[in-house]
Amino acid sequence: MSLIALSLKGLKRDLRAADVRALFMALTLAVAATTMIGFFLDRLDRGLTRQAGQLLGGDLVLEQGQPFDDDVRQTLREAGLRLSDQVDLVSMISQGDAFQSAGLKVVDDHYPLYGEVRVDRGDGIEAVAHGPPAGQAWIAPRLARLLEVKVGDTVQVGSASLRVGGLIDREPDQQGGFSGLTPRIMLDRADLQATELVRPGSRIEYELLAAGPPAAVEAVAARFERWREAGIEVRDVRVDRPSLGRSLERAQKYLSLAGLAAVLLAGVAVAMATRRYVDRHLDTAALMRCFGASQRQLGQLFAWQLGWLAIAAAALGALLGLAGQAGLLALLVRFLPLELPPPGWLPFAMGILTALAVLVGFAGPTLIRLRRVSALKVLRRELDPIPAAGWVVVGIASLVFGGLLWLYSGDPVLAVGILLGGLVALTVLAGAAHLLLSLLLGALSRFTPSGNGGRALQLGGRQLARRRQASLGQLLAFSVTFAAMAIIAVVRGDLLTTWQAQLPEETPNYFAINIQPQERDGVETLLEDAAGSASGLYPLVRGRLTAIDGQPPQARVPADNANDGALRRDLNLTWREALPDGNDVTAGEWFDPDAAMRATGNVPISVEEELAGRLGLSLGDTLTFTIGSDTVTGEVTSLRHLDWESFQPNFFIIFPPGVLESFGHSFITSFYLAEGNDALLGEMVRQYPGVSLLNVEALLEQVRGILTQVTRAVEFVLGFVLLAGVSVLYAALTASRPARAHEGALLRVFGASDRTLSRMQWSEFALLGLASGLLGAALAEVAAVGIFTWLGLSPRLHLTMWLSMPLLGAVMVGGIGFLLSRSTRRHSPMASLRLLGET
Amino acid sequence: MSHSSENQQDRILYASDLGKRVKSGEGELVILEALSLDVGRGESVAIVGSSGAGKSTLLGLLAGLDAPTSGALELFGQSLEELDEDGRAALRAGRVGFVFQNFQLLPTLTAMENVMLPLELSPRQDVAAKSRHWLTRVGLEGRLSHLPKQLSGGEQQRVAVARAFVTDPDLVFADEPTGNLDEETGRRIIDLLFALNRESDTTLILVTHDLALARRCDRCLKLENGALQPLEIDRHAEVSA
Ligand SMILES: Nc1ncnc2c1ncn2[C@@H]1O[C@H](COP(=O)(O)OP(=O)(O)O)[C@@H](O)[C@H]1O
Ligand SMILES: [Mg+2]
Repeated sequence: MSLIALSLKGLKRDLRAADVRALFMALTLAVAATTMIGFFLDRLDRGLTRQAGQLLGGDLVLEQGQPFDDDVRQTLREAGLRLSDQVDLVSMISQGDAFQSAGLKVVDDHYPLYGEVRVDRGDGIEAVAHGPPAGQAWIAPRLARLLEVKVGDTVQVGSASLRVGGLIDREPDQQGGFSGLTPRIMLDRADLQATELVRPGSRIEYELLAAGPPAAVEAVAARFERWREAGIEVRDVRVDRPSLGRSLERAQKYLSLAGLAAVLLAGVAVAMATRRYVDRHLDTAALMRCFGASQRQLGQLFAWQLGWLAIAAAALGALLGLAGQAGLLALLVRFLPLELPPPGWLPFAMGILTALAVLVGFAGPTLIRLRRVSALKVLRRELDPIPAAGWVVVGIASLVFGGLLWLYSGDPVLAVGILLGGLVALTVLAGAAHLLLSLLLGALSRFTPSGNGGRALQLGGRQLARRRQASLGQLLAFSVTFAAMAIIAVVRGDLLTTWQAQLPEETPNYFAINIQPQERDGVETLLEDAAGSASGLYPLVRGRLTAIDGQPPQARVPADNANDGALRRDLNLTWREALPDGNDVTAGEWFDPDAAMRATGNVPISVEEELAGRLGLSLGDTLTFTIGSDTVTGEVTSLRHLDWESFQPNFFIIFPPGVLESFGHSFITSFYLAEGNDALLGEMVRQYPGVSLLNVEALLEQVRGILTQVTRAVEFVLGFVLLAGVSVLYAALTASRPARAHEGALLRVFGASDRTLSRMQWSEFALLGLASGLLGAALAEVAAVGIFTWLGLSPRLHLTMWLSMPLLGAVMVGGIGFLLSRSTRRHSPMASLRLLGET
Repeated sequence: MSHSSENQQDRILYASDLGKRVKSGEGELVILEALSLDVGRGESVAIVGSSGAGKSTLLGLLAGLDAPTSGALELFGQSLEELDEDGRAALRAGRVGFVFQNFQLLPTLTAMENVMLPLELSPRQDVAAKSRHWLTRVGLEGRLSHLPKQLSGGEQQRVAVARAFVTDPDLVFADEPTGNLDEETGRRIIDLLFALNRESDTTLILVTHDLALARRCDRCLKLENGALQPLEIDRHAEVSA
């Protein structure tokens, strides 16, 4: 029989053994967890990229002040990208005596490349996959209100008269809710000529949108530099993807973390189960040696056997992972306007790799013993090969786990850091475990037991002490297990609390913009009376960044961002005394109210950190803004992180009071309006027709929905990690069963009653669990500091964990151990002793 | 294996000046010293000795499970000195059977699977049929799929006997095969062992401390002070050990 067939056969027979089942379960769990999370994150990531593409208008957006050459078009088309041309400009629109400045968006037949336009053409809002037909304009409702036109009326756009064909509810490629402050008017390319707005000197932006698979974008990436040099702004969705929202980012990190925790737990389970597997197979190996098998053959036999096990576990795990990610997506996707690509192969390959790596890393050193077994063992039982030293086992497992960390995070420094931290923690933990065990047992031996329970506790303690080395190993394994479970549970709790706090009940669901200074008090009073939780009014000044440190910005910023939109468009500036809620200063200091001017004589300004990053700004740089025909210069004195999901007005640039007031400005605010309180809206529109109201309820709902669903995904994954933890307990307790059964049988022979025995065993396990829980809590608390920082949460002490972990540990280890030892107690002592002779 | 000379053709096993010393706590322990033995094909040899005399150690050496510290040893005409552990294992494969005092059945394998194990190491087709045949031969045809723990001690040892003979070995080693059995069961196992030995014309080397058992062999040797002495025993008298 060939070795491969023999190994398969052996494995089939081996499936009867608890340790092999534990191994299988642990490996399956590791693969299921990693593939589930891997599949999920992979698809989510690709889906979000696609969504970003939709918001951007395409996967690749080129923008410049003049029409694009055929050369550029040709390049993009040849790469396999679909193209759409768009022209943006600001112009006055009129109807009768009413004039209003509006943002024109001129689209072609291919618009939109992604998504649909929601438009009301007179029969309610519909979603259509095209722009307005020639001769028609689609306009924002606000523009219709300002011009007092309705569908069917005619508006004047430059020299052209266009029929209002519809009111735009939502454009697919419009970022944010209020970024374009001028109301939108959309028309067909065929009508652009007739408007006569395209004249030398007019400020027009030509956009070339391209959509296609990432490979196609990659194919033209080499041209980006040349295009940028030619003054074209190139936005690549893969790079310029709007940041995901902190909550989703955290959720992603949490899921990766949970996946790694599951792998670690599975690894510990594999290590524990392998010990028993090897003990059991030492006899097999010795017998095979007797029957004439060579070391090589034995090595190959067991390697194949476990290899099959790993492959089977990987296949089952991958299927479970696939099902799991479908579950996760079902939970999430309803709220993500995502069209998800099918699962890729990469997570599957990673799953198999993980299974093999866990096997090699956590079982390998222990398995080597099987090769080294001497045939003489069949004659002299005690002739077991020396087990690999503890540090070798831990060392190799750590190396492999570090490798996996690297593989998953793509960050070798992080991997090495975590690994070293983990090893130090493990060493300290080993010392602590040693100490704790001694203390516990010392305390137990000193106290005089009263009653059966006390005696059982003392007996159980002695049992632990007798197997000191094994107990220590189990204590360590369980501590790591409990710590991993606790971390995942604790982080989950704090994540959920943060998310709930992030969008409280009365989160603003309306924005009011374009409030004129003379309307300010009226609007404020109106809102104070009728709406809850207004954000307060923020002044808004539009200004363009025209110099950094006195040089043209294009020359100062990183070359890739020389055509950044922030340099070519007006920025929203505001002034403010106090740091807005939800903003954190990440560098420098917020304005000192007593010293509005810097010693240098410069005006201090605060810049949002992401923009600062893009433009390469740091503290001390001076920025010059052109507002109308004047300029204002300020010095960057602080960088801010701000929460874009807060539904508060957010600003890239904040000035202190006393600088911008003299410039033309309007106000902006956000407020919460309970459902059905439409009277206020009517009142606003009637009293202040120039003020635009933006309803962000839908967006808010979407963010809320994502949080709810991400919460569920997090719970789901937590359940998975807990399951992995239980599998460790099961594997470890299975491994120690024979030794305990022997003692139990002997004690029975010496006259211990079943009750005494079961009490004793229960106490032993409970003590073990109690100590592990305590150490696990300590380890979790230390690790949590790092993990919380990584997730951007503030670390805190988890007092309940310190109480609940030892208790839970006692109950879980006690419970599982008790159940597992029940079968040995049920046997007659004779049978138990005989069972021993065989194992 | 080439049988180089005629007088060695019928020789299965040859040991001369065999010695085994082990390092122990206080110093060196001499277990075997200058021991010689010559076993011919088809012979049955009993080695008796009190507990701790070194019987198992000797058996381990003879079977090539362990290497002697001195002396020469030939198995099937092949000198074992020249072979490493894997070489000795290869020499054993299919040609040597074992019966142990503590049966050495694998607890997770059924009776049938335990018997199949030695056959599975070499490529062959008739593994199941042969195993079934031998289990039937030892009277366990009804217990093929039973696990060891579902069998009595005597039944377990029968499985072990079937396993020893299943490869049609040239040589069977038995180390106190009745040591863990009661007298009656032990006697039946020995009857079986001798019957199979005769039928299949194998060579048997039996280690025991039981003189009554030893008596049934062609030749009896006593292991004492690390060396073998011929033991003359009255095959018809009651012997007190
Ligand atoms: N590897 C070893 N190390 C130490 N002592 C050994 C070793 N092998 C055998 N012995 C000792 O040699 C003596 C003979 O053992 P053994 O061959 O098992 O005896 P028997 O089978 O005759 O009862 C015993 O005292 C045993 O303890
Ligand atoms: Mg012996």
